[in-house]
Amino acid sequence: MTSYVKLFDAGKMMAAVRELAGRIAGHFASSDREIALVGIHQLGVPLARLLHEELEKMGRKAEFGMLDITMYRDDIGTRSLLPMIHETVIPFDVNDKEIILVDDVLSTGRTIRAALDALTDYGRPGLIRLAVLVDRGEPEFPIRADFVGFEVSLPAERKVLVNFESSENMEAGIYDVKW
Amino acid sequence: MNELLLKNARIIDPARNIDKVGDIAVANGVIVDAAELKAPEVIDLTGKVLSRGFIDVHVHLRQPGNTAAETIATGSMAAAAGGFTSIVAMPNTSPSADTAGAIEYLHRIAAEQAVVKVLPCGNMTKGGKGEEMAGIGSLKKAGVVALSDDGKCIQDHGLMRHVVEYAKSFNLPIMDHCEETTLAAGGVMNEGKWSVLLGMNGISKASEELIIARNIIFAREIGWKIHMQHVSTRESVDMIRRARAKGIPVTGEATPHHLTLTDECVKKFDTNYKMNPPLRSEDDRQALIEGVADGTITVIATDHAPHTETAKLVEFDHAPFGIIGLETALPVCFTQLVVPGIISIPQLIAKMTVGPAEVLGIGNYDLSAGNAADITVFDPEAEYVVDKNKFYSKSRNTPFDGMSVRGQINLTIVDGKIVYRQGC
Amino acid sequence: MQWKRKDLLGLYDLSAEEITYILDTAAEFKKVSERRVKKVPALRGMTVVNFFVEPSTRTRVSFELAEQRLSADIVNMQAQASSLLKGETLLDTVKNIEALQVDLVVMRHSATGAQNFIADRLKCGVINAGDGAHEHPTQGLLDLFTIREKKGGFKGLNVSIIGDILHSRVARSNIWGLLKLGANVTLAGPSTLVPREFEEIGVRVCHNLKDAVENADVVNLLRIQHERQNNGFFPGIGEYSSHFGVKAATMDYMRPDVLIMHPGPINRDVELAGEVADGPNSVILEQVTNGLAVRMAVLFLVAGCRK
Repeated sequence: MTSYVKLFDAGKMMAAVRELAGRIAGHFASSDREIALVGIHQLGVPLARLLHEELEKMGRKAEFGMLDITMYRDDIGTRSLLPMIHETVIPFDVNDKEIILVDDVLSTGRTIRAALDALTDYGRPGLIRLAVLVDRGEPEFPIRADFVGFEVSLPAERKVLVNFESSENMEAGIYDVKW
Repeated sequence: MNELLLKNARIIDPARNIDKVGDIAVANGVIVDAAELKAPEVIDLTGKVLSRGFIDVHVHLRQPGNTAAETIATGSMAAAAGGFTSIVAMPNTSPSADTAGAIEYLHRIAAEQAVVKVLPCGNMTKGGKGEEMAGIGSLKKAGVVALSDDGKCIQDHGLMRHVVEYAKSFNLPIMDHCEETTLAAGGVMNEGKWSVLLGMNGISKASEELIIARNIIFAREIGWKIHMQHVSTRESVDMIRRARAKGIPVTGEATPHHLTLTDECVKKFDTNYKMNPPLRSEDDRQALIEGVADGTITVIATDHAPHTETAKLVEFDHAPFGIIGLETALPVCFTQLVVPGIISIPQLIAKMTVGPAEVLGIGNYDLSAGNAADITVFDPEAEYVVDKNKFYSKSRNTPFDGMSVRGQINLTIVDGKIVYRQGC
Repeated sequence: MQWKRKDLLGLYDLSAEEITYILDTAAEFKKVSERRVKKVPALRGMTVVNFFVEPSTRTRVSFELAEQRLSADIVNMQAQASSLLKGETLLDTVKNIEALQVDLVVMRHSATGAQNFIADRLKCGVINAGDGAHEHPTQGLLDLFTIREKKGGFKGLNVSIIGDILHSRVARSNIWGLLKLGANVTLAGPSTLVPREFEEIGVRVCHNLKDAVENADVVNLLRIQHERQNNGFFPGIGEYSSHFGVKAATMDYMRPDVLIMHPGPINRDVELAGEVADGPNSVILEQVTNGLAVRMAVLFLVAGCRK
């Protein structure tokens, strides 16, 4: 039986998204280089979209892209099944850009490692920062997030699930999932 | 000495139209009246079917030449396990059985090692090459029971006609592998829907039918017996049916695999579905069954063709033709033909006893007292799963491995001696 | 869906959903080749053997490039260089290859079903790069990819394949794929090379070029092999060309938006006039480009599903 314990409700989650956007805008306020938000599939993409909307509201222009890192995973051939490849769209020149990589949860850091490799195959960004909604605090790689919504400490076998849109089965919010 | 009383069997003797429960007595190698027995071994065969021993007119024993695949000893043991008391050994060994010396060799080894009667078949042409007539008179003298170039087919019609005429004068039946080579060249399976879909080279039905037609013409013209080996197409069956209706002395055999499998099996690329003639279409299979049921096809023969695992474990195109069949013939035919009610048990037995005996010119192939005690007993109710690893044959190239079957050989008796016994 | 096959042997085996999944995956891999860095680390540390027991240049180069762009390590084995000629069986040869801890074998073989035969007996993945006249699944997939890219889909699309269908593995892979995806397939060519048996699987067979192409959305022309002439299948290249070759004048009765395809290598002015091959309707070079993307997708999926 899988159990879902709600850690943060939709209101707290969206407040955290707005706060993240504010900190990003503040951090890059003095930068004269163009910035871009790049969401990592799957749930980094809707988060990046939300952050992008918030930045626009604040009058901060930013490019938007989405990245699939399946081709860059370090476990191909060791899993019995392969995740599906989603569409990668980087509609801007990454050279010299200041890029904020966006993912929902920073867990092992392996996804971010793969995303850095994928992104740098598109060119030579001027700077890359990482924004996540949830930081679980114990990455397996020396990777830290620069912008964090929540810090959550849970045993490694548990999963943190972010749900941006309410459905019949599940309200929007952030959950602790136990198998 | 050496007396047997086989009690309470369902005795089926198609040659005398007998189908009744009773006893068969054996003494000194022949069938006798039960009253003559003194101290027989009594075997109760309640529920079992007893008939005169099965004859397979189409067996490849591979000795000499390819004893890695089969030997006279192992092939004859496989025959015994399949209920066959006599088998006709095809001459395409290496060297070919085209001389009296080759036949003497076969007789000698068989006398030493074979558990069933091995009847030699000699080549029609030297080396089976279809070029020069073999020494047919010497072969007859050495004891061949028939002539065949099986595996190949004489393409020179003039030569074939002379062979038939000459064989007639020595009273030797012809058994022909019917294949016109230009229509079969390079083929590995039946030419039809499945060869087209799979992209494989086909062997056309016309390749067989042309030669069946030729042989019918020669049988009529010369007035001599020609037996068509492994008939596989609807048109072939039709031609034989019409010829027999006109009194032309032709016969035809069907193999258990042509009666039960079709070319669609080839899509598995298992080389145990590769044989020549190839598995044909479902329509052809149905025609063969009709031919068996209406008496057009009088013989079921296995075309037992052993090949080593190494030889068969290759690309389909490169595999040799042929599968083994001695140990699966009865259960496969019983399960696929008798159980569904297509033919009766006496009909099946006739195709494996009197039918082949007639081809070889053996009369009175029945269970009358005085006849050799060549007897087969099987259980028509026993069900089991074919396991190729239990075969006596040296080879394992069968498509029937793992098949659930009904009909199990219990006893094979040759000249009064039990050579195979299982479950009774 | 999830990809669950360790081998790609033919389109006959695949469902429409699986074919679409490969095409979708290929679309992402196509972008990789359009980047400055035309390489991803997907198969880093994996070894692929290209085992060609029949000569090939185009398909082998396309596979090699696809493997390199996936960062795999590659070994090429040719039939003449392999031990097959020394009397070793195919199965022994591939078992020896597998014993070197190879992850994938890409194989071409002149015998139909050779890949099916070995795939059942190997733990490593097997990709069919053409077997006899049976299947050439990556060619079929790249043709489907190209058609989908240009026409948007397959439902109700009229696709005509013209040439020596009897001996063509490209034709068979195309036929299975197109039928599964809902296209209408017409086969045309000399009656000796286009068997009527194909009608039994819902394909139209005709022996007249105009009839085959006038309503076609896609015309896929196959290379006519000169050696078939010697085997008596048709009288000669000249007669073939005059009856079944697509010429500039043929364009007059074809749809203006018809796609002209050819798996290559082209016999210019035999099955296809040079000016049509180079004309605006031709997507022949795009097929080559797409072949790379499709092969990357297939290698990636098959490698990713090892058990």
